[in-house]
Amino acid sequence: MDTFLQVTAYGLLQGGLLALVAVGFSLVWGIMNIVNLSHGAFVILGAYIAWEMQSWFGLDPFLGMFVSAAVLFCIGYVIQRYLINLIVNGPVFITLLLTFGINMIFIQSMNLIFTADFRSIQTSYGSNSLKIGAIHIPVVRLLAFLLAILISFALVAFVKRTRTGLSIMATGMDRGAARLMGIRARHVYAITFAISAALAGMAGTMIATIETFDPAKAGKFTLMAFVVAVLGGLGNLYGALVGGLLIGLVESWAGQYLSGTWVNGIAFLVLIIVLIFRPNGLVGKAFYAARVEL
Amino acid sequence: MTTTPEVKISRNLLHTWIPSVVAVLAVIGALILKSHIPGGELRAVATIFMFIALSQAWNIIGGFAGYASFGQVVFFGMGGYFTAVVMLKYHFSFWVAMPLSGLFAAVFAMLIGLPLLKLKGHYFAIATLGVAEGMREVVINLPDLTGGGAGISVPIAGTFAKTQYLGDGGFYLLFLGLAIFSVGIGTLVSRNKFGYGLRAIHQNEDAAAAVGINTVRSKVMAYGLSAFMTGMVGASYVFQQVTIFPERLFDVEITVLMIMMVVIGGSGTVIGPLLGALGLQFISEYLREHFTSGHTFILGLIIILAVILIPQGLVNYIREGRRTKQYSLLTNIRRYRL
Amino acid sequence: MKKNSRSFVAVTAAIGLVMLGVNYAPVANAAGTLTVSIGASVPLTGSLAKEGLLTKEGYQFCQTKVNAVSLFTIGGKSIKLDITYQDDTSKPDLAAQNLSKFNDKGMKLILSSYGSANVNAQAAVVELNKQTMVDSGGADDNIFNKGYTRTFNVMSPASEYASSMVKAINDLARPKPVKFAFLSADDGFSKTVTAGGIKTAKALGFTTMDPQYFPNATSDVSAALNKIKADKPDVIIGSVHFVEGVALIKQSKELGVQPQSFAETVAPPILEFASTLGPLAENVLGSSQWTSTTKGRDKYFGTAANYATEFAAAFGHEATYHNAEATAACLAMVMSIEKAKSIDADKVQAALKSLNTMSFFGTIHFDSTGQNSSKPMSVIQIQKGKIITVWPRISAQAKMIWPYAK
Repeated sequence: MDTFLQVTAYGLLQGGLLALVAVGFSLVWGIMNIVNLSHGAFVILGAYIAWEMQSWFGLDPFLGMFVSAAVLFCIGYVIQRYLINLIVNGPVFITLLLTFGINMIFIQSMNLIFTADFRSIQTSYGSNSLKIGAIHIPVVRLLAFLLAILISFALVAFVKRTRTGLSIMATGMDRGAARLMGIRARHVYAITFAISAALAGMAGTMIATIETFDPAKAGKFTLMAFVVAVLGGLGNLYGALVGGLLIGLVESWAGQYLSGTWVNGIAFLVLIIVLIFRPNGLVGKAFYAARVEL
Repeated sequence: MTTTPEVKISRNLLHTWIPSVVAVLAVIGALILKSHIPGGELRAVATIFMFIALSQAWNIIGGFAGYASFGQVVFFGMGGYFTAVVMLKYHFSFWVAMPLSGLFAAVFAMLIGLPLLKLKGHYFAIATLGVAEGMREVVINLPDLTGGGAGISVPIAGTFAKTQYLGDGGFYLLFLGLAIFSVGIGTLVSRNKFGYGLRAIHQNEDAAAAVGINTVRSKVMAYGLSAFMTGMVGASYVFQQVTIFPERLFDVEITVLMIMMVVIGGSGTVIGPLLGALGLQFISEYLREHFTSGHTFILGLIIILAVILIPQGLVNYIREGRRTKQYSLLTNIRRYRL
Repeated sequence: MKKNSRSFVAVTAAIGLVMLGVNYAPVANAAGTLTVSIGASVPLTGSLAKEGLLTKEGYQFCQTKVNAVSLFTIGGKSIKLDITYQDDTSKPDLAAQNLSKFNDKGMKLILSSYGSANVNAQAAVVELNKQTMVDSGGADDNIFNKGYTRTFNVMSPASEYASSMVKAINDLARPKPVKFAFLSADDGFSKTVTAGGIKTAKALGFTTMDPQYFPNATSDVSAALNKIKADKPDVIIGSVHFVEGVALIKQSKELGVQPQSFAETVAPPILEFASTLGPLAENVLGSSQWTSTTKGRDKYFGTAANYATEFAAAFGHEATYHNAEATAACLAMVMSIEKAKSIDADKVQAALKSLNTMSFFGTIHFDSTGQNSSKPMSVIQIQKGKIITVWPRISAQAKMIWPYAK
């Protein structure tokens, strides 16, 4: 029983981390129908920024993540406003190519600037755990998990309660109508992408504190975000959270009760089964799936 | 982007004899080229041919039918592993193993296609990606059959080697053959009723069904055909490489390359993927050789520029230009920007 | 339009191929020197970029040193190395293709790429092209059980990686531990390592638990740790790469798994291991192909200590075993050229087969499969953040700290 609880708790925490990586990706995809293949590179860049902040100024990663977020917000805004906006009306998968190109440039730049060293942010509380009975709850993972939940709720509140948020949502539903209502779609798109990049930066900081990172890992995070976002479903801001937690649990249980080497295989099997029976993801909305054509 | 005008144009042109002559000349040129370049270059050009075949295969399901198979590499990997296993364990000749690999991939595609092709847009894309990643895990986890993470080697010497290793020149011809085959299939599909059905599905699936197209059958057939070609290419790649590993054979980057080549060249056309594969593979190879440390950076810039200047793909840009007599890239940007 | 595009294809292809084809001049002879053109395809981008760069540095250092001292002549001409580098983007097919392109340019002598998959692909091509390759980055046994005769590996074989640590613990650890748990990545190399370690542990009378496997390059090994936790192993041996190696230590702490000691292949001798894990890295054992106290010397690099000093001065960072492996591979090539008195690939191959020498890297002597199987591995321990050699006893810098002190 203890083992089961331990495995479950750990799976949920891991799921929270996945959700954190995926939430920005899901937002951009849901609102603008852009599959951002450079998302993983943003995550890694966020990790590097937080690492540099700590190494230069001794800034704790839980503060450093705001610096990462701010820098990536600006980068994200510029990329959307002056690059991606140029082809938004092109064939859908064209954004895929554009972001793939951006991804290549980011990764090679990080290779050159930061070298391809493995890095990780060290903290004094790094691998400490809370003990509840026989169950160990790692502190940093718990904080990252809470951050994922907090961000999901904050994002929903932002979109539903603020003027900018509402215009983001409106643009996502019908860009033409939104523009007629006086919404500056170019700016709104850029803001949306910037928020997504900022969230990637925060996720990267958490990754850096919990695991190790290097530029070659970017692709892995993009893939994870891809899977988690679709599993949860597009068009629902809680989608990433739901998808992330599910994948975290499934992988954790599969590793414990099946075989350690099958975890990834099982995760993809779950993805396919969910899609076959719920073609719009677990909590997604059909509208966001149907409008997509190549 | 609409496909109506391109149908009209291709009708006009395809009934003339010029393209066939150019095609024959291109093949003769490729054959002459073979005796004039050394082995390593042959290998590089063979890779170009390989990607021509792969992008044509992807174009059938992704370009014509509009179902973006993001896990297309799974057929490459499964075809490849099928060949490796039957050649190593059952001592098949490569020439038997290769078509069987294509069939194996096609049957697999049709089986998974039945449920998956009901999904739309990105959801189809991600489900196929899941299949590809999942199959890689299966291959890793069946080491007795596939060698697992340690890889597997095709016999090229000794008594079990039924087919002599083809060498750089032989593989050049093999991949050239596959490229010709795939362009041929692509041309056939684009001209006949089956292909028009796929285009109709791409534009509006409900309407296509309403005018009497059996959409499920068409989609599954297209997926199977696309997988057949991809599987045969995978089989040939494995024989060329000798020792293979699951990470590379199911590498998502191979899928991304196929998609890039099709989209940059012009999706839904035959000449587009051909040009895309040729151009992109040539440029990336050239850059890698001459800019050892910065090549991915430059390639990234080129891709970004190409995408921004001609988002509709090279061939579609020229076609739209011919129709509207307007070739200015600035106008083109204005057409697709927000 | 169709016509135009087709002819465009043909013209582009023709121009392109001509451009690709030019510039392969034969070995250039300046007066009094004989230039040895050596091809090296290394991963400078992609997942192995880091190791690829270290490998390239090792080759560069070798070229600089060998050209500076010029210790022998062939036909009255002194030898100058000229190594050409190509990026294989961490992909086996390009690693192999690069070698064929080198072959086009008449380069028959090859220094290998990094990673078992890349070297495996290269070994097949080397055989077909009748090139001769010295391998510094692929240690998996399955490269060398195919009957290839033109690939030579300066490293100790994969089966030694975990085995050496088991031997060191048997030799030095008091009180002697009883129960070993093996945790392993699921790639071919790591599995070979684990099998070798288990075999040695059993032969030495230790109790071994069933090995637990996890996906290659994963950052979550918690499942494997949860499974062995209840059985309380005395030693956990990880057959890992850097990422899994760090995860194993971090997650053990998180999950409260506390053996007497951790021992890991590959990861601890990488400089970032100690800096990434900080205090958690203390006393972790690791196995290394080379350390700065490895016994042996040669006329180009002197001892391992000389090598370490000069390398650090040249590149501004400590020499890692990846650097040393690469330099050693290049050194083996140079010594064989000297022995063969020729730069002909077949003659160098014959000289490599019979090479038996000491070097800053230890023994270099290839067995019939092309592996350097008589070279022992060193066992290191992280002590106060430094990588300290603790075994074999003759090259130990300090005593092994045992048991694992928290």
